[in-house]
Formats: sequence, C-alpha cells, structure tokens
Amino acid sequence: MKRILRRFSFWLLIGFILAGIWGPKCFKSSAETQVASPFSMPLWVKKDTSPTMSFALEPKREHVQFEWNWEAPPNITIWGTAKFEKETSASLILENPNGETILLAQNEGNTFLTVDVDGRDMSFKMGLGLSPFDDPMKELFPTKGRYTIKLWPPDLKIKSGAINIRIEGSRWGLLGTDQRGRDVFHLFLLGIRISLLVGISATLLATLLGVSVGLVAGYAGGLVDTVLMRIVDVLLAIPGLPILMVLAGIWGKGLWQLVVILSIFSWMGTARTIRSLTLSLRESTFVEGLRALGAKPSYIMFRHLLPESLPILLANIALGVPSAILAEAGLSFLGLSDPRIISWGRMLNEAHGFGAFTTGAWWLILPPGIGISLICLAFLDLGRTLEEMADPRLKGGANK
Amino acid sequence: MIKLIKNYWFRRIVGSLVVLLVVLILNFFLFRIMPGDPVSTIIDPHFSPQAKQHLRAQFGLDLPLYQQFYLYVKSLVTFNFGQSFLSQKPVWEELRTRIPNTVFLLGTAFMLSALLGIWLGVKAAQKRGSALEKVVLLAGSISFSFPSFFVQLVLLMIFGWAIPIFPIRGSLSVPPPSGMAALWDFLWHMTLPIFSLVLLGFGSWAIYVRNLMIKTFSEDYILLARAKGLPENKILWGHAFRASLPPIVTMFLLALPGILSGAVITETVFSLHGVGKFLLDSILGHDYPAAGAAFYLLAIITIICNLTADFAYGLVDPRIRLGRKME
Repeated sequence: MKRILRRFSFWLLIGFILAGIWGPKCFKSSAETQVASPFSMPLWVKKDTSPTMSFALEPKREHVQFEWNWEAPPNITIWGTAKFEKETSASLILENPNGETILLAQNEGNTFLTVDVDGRDMSFKMGLGLSPFDDPMKELFPTKGRYTIKLWPPDLKIKSGAINIRIEGSRWGLLGTDQRGRDVFHLFLLGIRISLLVGISATLLATLLGVSVGLVAGYAGGLVDTVLMRIVDVLLAIPGLPILMVLAGIWGKGLWQLVVILSIFSWMGTARTIRSLTLSLRESTFVEGLRALGAKPSYIMFRHLLPESLPILLANIALGVPSAILAEAGLSFLGLSDPRIISWGRMLNEAHGFGAFTTGAWWLILPPGIGISLICLAFLDLGRTLEEMADPRLKGGANK
Repeated sequence: MIKLIKNYWFRRIVGSLVVLLVVLILNFFLFRIMPGDPVSTIIDPHFSPQAKQHLRAQFGLDLPLYQQFYLYVKSLVTFNFGQSFLSQKPVWEELRTRIPNTVFLLGTAFMLSALLGIWLGVKAAQKRGSALEKVVLLAGSISFSFPSFFVQLVLLMIFGWAIPIFPIRGSLSVPPPSGMAALWDFLWHMTLPIFSLVLLGFGSWAIYVRNLMIKTFSEDYILLARAKGLPENKILWGHAFRASLPPIVTMFLLALPGILSGAVITETVFSLHGVGKFLLDSILGHDYPAAGAAFYLLAIITIICNLTADFAYGLVDPRIRLGRKME
C-alpha cells in the first residue's frame, strides 16, 4: 500500500477525481451558458489585447466603474431587467474618461428598465447615430482610462432584478472559450467526470464478464472451455474500432449504451488471463483438498480461486481503464456520442469541426488532449505498480 | 478425418471461416434488430416509390429471414452492396475510389513505422542505457497513452496553422491539378497524415523489438559468436536479429488489423478520401448499405491479415504447426 501512496500518479488521479466531483460545482451557471465571445483566448496570454469584463447593476449597486487599458473591444452585450421603487424615466449611461456620456438604453416612465443590447445590433448602431456598417465600439471606447456605467437619474434605486453588462474582449478566463462562447475550463472539469465514469465502469463491467468466463472456462475445462475460448478468439478477430462505431451509431449514443458497447469488446484479455491462472491453480493441492472435502465448484471458484487472482485482477483493471478511456474519447471525437454530454472527446470533435486550426485556437485542443493523456498515463503507472506488487519478479522488468 | 481436424492449416482456415460467418451474421442482424420496421431503416422515407420498390426487390425484404440471409451473403460475396442513400450511387463504386487511398496511406505509414521502429529497437538493445534507448522508451509510452487524434490535431495545428507548410484538409487540392502535378499534390497532402502515423506507431515497434533483442542477447550462441571474435555488426544483424525475426514477422502481420482503426481516425482528422472516413460518414448519415459494406470490407481485411499471420507463424516456427499443446 505504501508503494502506491508514494506514486505521483496516484495523487494525480486523486486530484482528477476530486476536481471532477467538486470542480463543476464551483460554477454558478451551467456549462452551456455563453460567458464571453466565441474563441476568446485565455486571460494569461497576449495581455495587450482586451479582456472580457462582466458586471451587473443590482440593488445597492447602481453604477460600476472600471479601468479600461486596451483597444476598443470587439463587442458589448447588455441584458436584463431592473425594477425600481417608483415610476420614473430611467436611462443607462456610459461615461468615458473624457467626461462624455453615451446613452445606452432608456425607458419611458415605467417602474422597470429592460435592456437587451448587442453591440452588433442595427438598432443600437442607429441609436448611436452611426451607419449599420460602422463599428460602435470605437465610439463607446475611444481612449484608455476610467469608465463608468450608471443609471440616470443618480438618485434611482433598483428594487430587484439586475442589468448584466458584458464587455466582450478577446481574452477570458483560465482557458478561454469555445465556438459557442462556453467556458473551456468548466467543460474540461466536466470532461473528467465522463472519462472516469465511462473508463472505470466499462472496465469493471468487462472485468466482471472476463472473470466469469475465465473462471468457468478454466475450472470446467473440456467442451465448455473450448467453446468459450473460441468465442474469445472470434471476438478478438473482429476489428475493434469499426464494430464499436457501427454499434454506437446504431444502438444510440447514450452514456450507458457506450459503457455496455465498450465492455462487450474488451473482456477477452481478462478472460484469457484468469483462465490460465485458474488452469494452474486447479491442479494445485489445496484445490484438490477442497474437492476431497466436498466443496462445490462454485465455492472453490469464488472463495478460493478468485481471491488468489485478485492482485493480478486489480492490475488488470488499472491497465484496462486507459484503453476504455481512449476508446470513449475516440468515439466521441468521431461524433458518435451524445452531443449533450460534454466529454473530452466531444470537445476535440467540436474543436476539429468548428475549425480551431483556422483560428489557431490551441486552448480548445490542448486541455482535453492533455487531460486524456494524463489520466491514461496515471492509470498505466498505477497498473504497473500494482502488477509489480502482485508479482515481484516483474520488478525492474525481465529485461534488466 | 481426425488427422484432418488436427491439421494446423485446416484448423486455421476453419477458424477464419467461422469469424467470417460471425461477421456476416453480425452485419446482417445489426442493421435489422433495431427497434421498428427494418424496411423503414433500410429504405429512406424520402425515396420515390420506384426506388423503394427497387430496393425492396434488391434486398428481398419481403422474403423470410433465412432467404434474406442467403441473398445477403450472395450480394456480399459478389461485392454487390446496393445503392448508397447519401450519394445515390452504387456503394461499390464509392468504395472502389477510396480503397487505393487508404491502402497507400496505411501501407506507407505501416512500413515506415515498422522499419524505423525495428531499426531503433535493435540499436537501443545494442546500447543499453544510451540516450537512444530513452528516446525509444519515451516514444513507446507516447504511442500507448496519447490519443492518436490528439497528436494529429496538434501536428495539424503546428504544420497547418502556425507554420503553414502542409494543407489542413483533403487528399487533393481543389481543383485537382493534372499529370505529374497531381501526384506531387497527392503526396504533399499525404505527408502529414503519414508522418503522424509513423510518429504514433514506431514507438511500440521499437520497444517490442528491443525487448526481443535483449532476450536474444543473453543466449549462449551470442556469447559463442562473441568468443569466436565475429564483428559486432555481424553478431547484431546476422545472429541476434535473425533469431528474433519470426516473432517480428508475426507481429508485423498481427499489427496490420490494428492500424485499420487508425485509418478511421486519421482520415477523419485530415479529411481524407478513404474507406475509414466513408464508414464514419455513412454511420453518421444513417446510410446503412454503405456502412455495412465498409464494415464488411474492413472485417475481411482483418480476417485475411490474421490468417496470413497464422500461416507465417506456422511456416517460421514448426513447433506451432506440429501440434504443440495449446496450453
């Protein structure tokens, strides 16, 4: 046990699991919401380009001030409804560092102000006195300095509701945004869940299947053994990814269908290992003794043969998870998964389909890809460690 | 009779035929056990009545199941796969233009990665603990744990966008050039896919060959060869490598089916005109005759490779052929 605790991969895996469980809960909004303009870069690159800023005018916060030290941003969106205590004519105003004020929106003597403005709207441009082909952002953000967005008249109090303002620059968040303006970091954290869930449950199911077949074939021998092993041979001879693609394409793309499909075609290796182990154990003296005591075959199999092979089995599970994760990611990358389920493969599929290359959006490709690789490497390392613990002869490898 | 059953070649051939039968049955039922009427899944509702009638007659969907199966096997054996829903052309016509592309892509990549891997593996085994051995081990772990599509996407990003020296998609430029230019254009488009497959593939070869060679180096006859004072190169290639050749040959053939999966992914990433992409597009477009045909073709290639591997193994290693105990 100590050897496992000393492995970096073990702690990496724990980190992934914790991040997968708790990470997505730290976000207030769902991962599907647009948080910034599409293909925003991460905040920590190209710091001379404009970042995305979000504000809300809420009760007790009737104006916001911010420093703007960049070129004019590509877009601004303002939306939401604010309710007031009394009927007034309210307006939303942007004040730039030169002291000029620009009217963004207003109501006509109501108890509320509803705003739904996008910087690219025709009506918005016309309202600013621009032609539909002009860029209003140059008008709104002419210089660097301190800007204020506030409600007018100044004694206005918001009773409830909020007006959200988002200045959509070209940088946002830890890992930027994708083609729909979603937070890539949030998607990345959600992807951990799917990879671990599918990888581990498919491997467990496959192991269950493989152990049953291996135990039965090894212990029963004879015709049963021959038939089962021929089935294994046949399944091994069918091309892997194509049959998975056909099954996923026909049987639906849900998560559990995927788990079942993956496990149907990955139990054969375990079955062979367990069978050969059982074959050698079957002839050992303690099994003969058990038989002489009148133990039933099922008792011998599950109370004695199975625990004997448990260490090897654990290593097998750890070594099997990466291939299940890779297969899931591959199918999702090919577009054969449920588009509503966010997984790393799906993220790469969308990055590929929406031209992350033509825009150079590396932050859409590297996080999911590195995530998959790291998880796989962690499981491989863990599996090798478990294997060495089960069979110390492997330590240092047969090749040393 | 019993002699025939025990015969190695006979057993292998029967085994392959059984796999072929299973593939046929799978292929037959997969597209028929879906919920609902099989007719509605095979025949697109937007088809004209004549086309429906034509397809009905072609697939014999009004016949009993066993007759359908007979007709189905007959059509597959004669490569008459029916019409594609998407392109309205015979599926075989569609496949025929794609097979050479896929064979070229996989064949070249496979040969290059095997040759490079074997050479590096031998060299790594010769110089234990050298920088080369570390490179080999690293390349091996890359090919085991990095998803191929991720590596290819990164390559595409580097050589298609950051340093745009290779095309981002396609097997040929649009419009395609003619004459010798077309060949160069094709090779130019194929360079990055082949390079990526070699990068992903040579590591596992190198590790496999390295481990084999290390085992061989500890044999007594190598010691004898050294004691005889043979030149190091002769010991390396003439003795050690020669002795490790049978498992390498078998591995070579056994690895062939595995790269078919690579075809699907690679052709999708680079948007190439090939069988793998055709299979994916057919599945995504619910083009069942085309998907069935592409799957059947890939399965046939796999079965042939496995059978050839068995035969080669039997030829180079008489112990296998002459009835060893299977355990």
